[in-house]
Amino acid sequence: MTERLVYIRVKENTGILWCGVVVAPQRFTKDLAWILSTFTCTSSKMSQLHPLIQLQQMAEPLLNVQEMQFWLDKAVAWGQADSSDTQKDTCLHLSRLRDFLQQLLSHINNMSSTTETMKRLPLLGQFLGRLCWNPYVTADGTGRRLLFQCLWGLYSEHPGNAVERKANQWIRKVLCQLATEEDDAAAQALMNQMGVPPKEYHLKVLRKMVELLQKNIGKSCRSLGDINQRCSCDNILATSEACVPLVTYPEAAPLIGALLQQPMTCVRAALSEDFLDALSSAYSSQCLSLEEQAVVSLWYHNLSSLEKAVLSLLECVLTKTGSIPQMLKEQLAQSLLPKACAQHCTIFLVVNDIFRSILKQAEGNESVKYIIQTFTNCFLQEVALLQHQTSVSLKAFFPQSPQSLLVPLLTRLSEMPQEVWRHHLNWLSGSLQRLTEEEEDGDGDSSSSTRGHHKLFEAWFLLVQCGHWVQVAVQLLVTSGPEDRGPLLWLLTFYHHPTNRGHHRALQLVRAKEAWHHLHSLFLVSARPLPVALLQSLVTLLSPQPQQPSLSPLLILKLLVNFAVFFQQSLSGSTEILQTVVERSGLVDEAACVLCSLELRLNEGSCLSSDVNRVHLRIKALQDTLTHMHAAPSPTENQAHTHSHLKHTHIHTHNNAQNHTAVSSSSAQGFFRAPMQNDK
Amino acid sequence: MEAVLKNLASTAELLAVAAQSGVVEQWDKQTLSRAFHWARYCEHLFSRFHNNPAIRRTMEKQLQLTNQSLRAVFPGYTEVSFSDISRCQHLLLVGLLKNPELPISIMKILFDTTKQSEYQDVTGFCSHIIQCKSACKVLSPLTDLSAVGADADVQGVMLMERLGALLSQGTEACQTEHIVDSVLQGCEGAAGHFCLVIAAALLTTKNSAAQTASQDFLLDWLQKEHNVLQHMCSALPTTLIKDLAKEHLKFRDAYCDVLKKWASDMEYSVSEGEWAQTSTNRTVSFQRLTEHFLALFEACPSLREDVEKELNALKVSDGDFDVRGLSVWGDLLSALNK
Repeated sequence: MTERLVYIRVKENTGILWCGVVVAPQRFTKDLAWILSTFTCTSSKMSQLHPLIQLQQMAEPLLNVQEMQFWLDKAVAWGQADSSDTQKDTCLHLSRLRDFLQQLLSHINNMSSTTETMKRLPLLGQFLGRLCWNPYVTADGTGRRLLFQCLWGLYSEHPGNAVERKANQWIRKVLCQLATEEDDAAAQALMNQMGVPPKEYHLKVLRKMVELLQKNIGKSCRSLGDINQRCSCDNILATSEACVPLVTYPEAAPLIGALLQQPMTCVRAALSEDFLDALSSAYSSQCLSLEEQAVVSLWYHNLSSLEKAVLSLLECVLTKTGSIPQMLKEQLAQSLLPKACAQHCTIFLVVNDIFRSILKQAEGNESVKYIIQTFTNCFLQEVALLQHQTSVSLKAFFPQSPQSLLVPLLTRLSEMPQEVWRHHLNWLSGSLQRLTEEEEDGDGDSSSSTRGHHKLFEAWFLLVQCGHWVQVAVQLLVTSGPEDRGPLLWLLTFYHHPTNRGHHRALQLVRAKEAWHHLHSLFLVSARPLPVALLQSLVTLLSPQPQQPSLSPLLILKLLVNFAVFFQQSLSGSTEILQTVVERSGLVDEAACVLCSLELRLNEGSCLSSDVNRVHLRIKALQDTLTHMHAAPSPTENQAHTHSHLKHTHIHTHNNAQNHTAVSSSSAQGFFRAPMQNDK
Repeated sequence: MEAVLKNLASTAELLAVAAQSGVVEQWDKQTLSRAFHWARYCEHLFSRFHNNPAIRRTMEKQLQLTNQSLRAVFPGYTEVSFSDISRCQHLLLVGLLKNPELPISIMKILFDTTKQSEYQDVTGFCSHIIQCKSACKVLSPLTDLSAVGADADVQGVMLMERLGALLSQGTEACQTEHIVDSVLQGCEGAAGHFCLVIAAALLTTKNSAAQTASQDFLLDWLQKEHNVLQHMCSALPTTLIKDLAKEHLKFRDAYCDVLKKWASDMEYSVSEGEWAQTSTNRTVSFQRLTEHFLALFEACPSLREDVEKELNALKVSDGDFDVRGLSVWGDLLSALNK
């Protein structure tokens, strides 16, 4: 993959900076870190960036006469010849021409009068006039808009002199001619005779053309080998070239769809680069109107539009306020990306590369991990649907993952009886542990250690993709005996802390065990009120510690929630514990999210026992409690806690130097909603 | 009916006002939309009643009256006939755009390129037309490769529809023929295009008995118009002619007759060493003639035997010599059987 910065766009209304970046996987630039840091930003953060963009606008060079002459010469050349070369040249220059027209428009609007404009740019009228008769410019939506706006800019409401009066007349005449003149006399005569209005006639002719061209494309040729043999695929390149100005025109959509979806068996059946670029920019401005399969084909053909799609999906999912796990699956499915990944292996590989880069930039970001897990789940469902049509091995979709772990991790929960889960997880934990030991042993030799790191990262990434196993591990931890506990806790810790910075894993494991014991003891207690010491130590664990190594509070929170749901304690007892701890540590929303994703996972399971029903009722009850807590005002004694919590999570999640990015709003530690409940 | 006539008259007045009066200065978005609404209404009237001779006559009479009164008011007034009503929106548009008093704000609405939610019928009315026409121009070089061409195809369909309507009404043959004649006149200077239109019309798929009747009528007309027929046979691409011969018996026979006529007009030119047409404008060479015959046989293999028999008989009547240059029929036969 080559490196290309596509563009940066500021969305004023949501205050989100959005970047489209195409880079090699290991080198996603700091722009991507911006996405993650700004996903949780409020609009106040954007004020830092606004001056930057304003500066850029001011630095634009003033319109010079040389440029005008260049474009005028181009317009003259285009008007004279009508060959395929002219067509190619026009389409090649179309986007630059649009930029130039935009510049012209600002220039015209900055002038106080038309007289002044004409004095500064005497060739302007001629230029615009010629462009009006260039069908490539007028067929293109943006081109036409800018052209007309330039003309209106030259129109004087109250003409002050002959020049302005003439300009007005000319503008009216040109527009009238464009809209009403018929250069085909025979057609005109026929229209009059047959009683068909011109608008209807032209539309019919256009539709007929689209139909004819579509049919031509449908005929795939068989000449795979012989380059010298002529075939009908020559016209595919020419057709795609001609469609450059038509990408946003709904009438042309069937033709564009046909071009994108043609089988491409012949070496000549190539699509023009200008065409793909035009599609890509139309796609990002959301002006395209293509049917589903055509969009998938576009992604397949054009890397940058695929990347835009993925990044915009992530942006959408991460920033939607109140975006809850239930909606996530729907949103992902609606985006067509899982389906596209199932149809084309390469698309899945690209999407995963983007995921990898994001993960590397923001290790602690739980929401991203959950999205990746859900996405992979959707993807596997789509693959299962397609399986009877194509038989692509899973290896092709996951080439970098450790092969020994591939099938075990990708196994769905429904494919394995519940009794075997524990054993399976033990095995998984053991394998991963061995991998980490290998990696850490090879720390001496630099080349093998990078390989080892890579292998470990891939293993962890696969685990993230198959996060349902980690969820099961947490559930089983509630009822685990001392033999299972070790491996399960190890797995959980590894999921949250894949890197062993400063060899802290041993300490983290100790903390994890501690947390488990605290929870276990707390839930065993039936006397009320709840033991203060236990509560306090738990709350302390849930608030991140200033000194490293600390255990991810979310890890402990997940344990807590699972204990509340699955431990053999009365509902009221569990509710009280959950409520108290969560309130004191200020993690109400996060807890609600954990409950939500737990519920979703259980819903997907196929077991329909009464026990499951009980669990669902329990979850529902806990959720209700949390929602009521959400509504209630937060007690003042917790303010201190939450503030310190915020400060510490900031240090946790981002390793960028800008310390001010996450202060006033909440940090990315949160799940799907940026601001935390108690921030004030 | 009276209300309808009144509306028709009012719309004609509206057209006049739009084109020639300074009142348009006060028009706003709403007025514009209403004006186009009325124009659409009249177009609808046309499509409803243009096949109904009685109502049509009534409407034409009304328009005549309205024209009279408008002529008195507006100097240089162009009259509106009933057939013009089919393009009422277009007439309104032309009138407005040519009216120098039209406020620029109205023009901006018509040429607006954004997608508006209200007044969708008029916003961007012109912008859409321009986009459509430009798209056609952009795509037309590519469709030249196809046999008939999109515009000829559409025009052929239009012609078929018109003929169908006329024939179903029981219009007199000469009136219907007049329609085709006027189309031919309209294509003056573009005879080749006219041939394409006729070919397209004849090749529209026969969905109904009405269409068959229309095509039959057209074929009869064609047989009477020798010039057109000859032009078609010489100018159209071979594939089209073959399709026509395959589809229509009448055309096949007419085609065959044309070829025979061309052959009979040929004389052997010793200087050129080849048969050539005697007429001043040479439409076809001997070589081409042979190709034509072969194409005809390819399209209708059953014809070959009969035609060859005929040619043979003609050759015999010429003396039955097997020497080159004596009988065009003989040379033709030998060329065909090479």
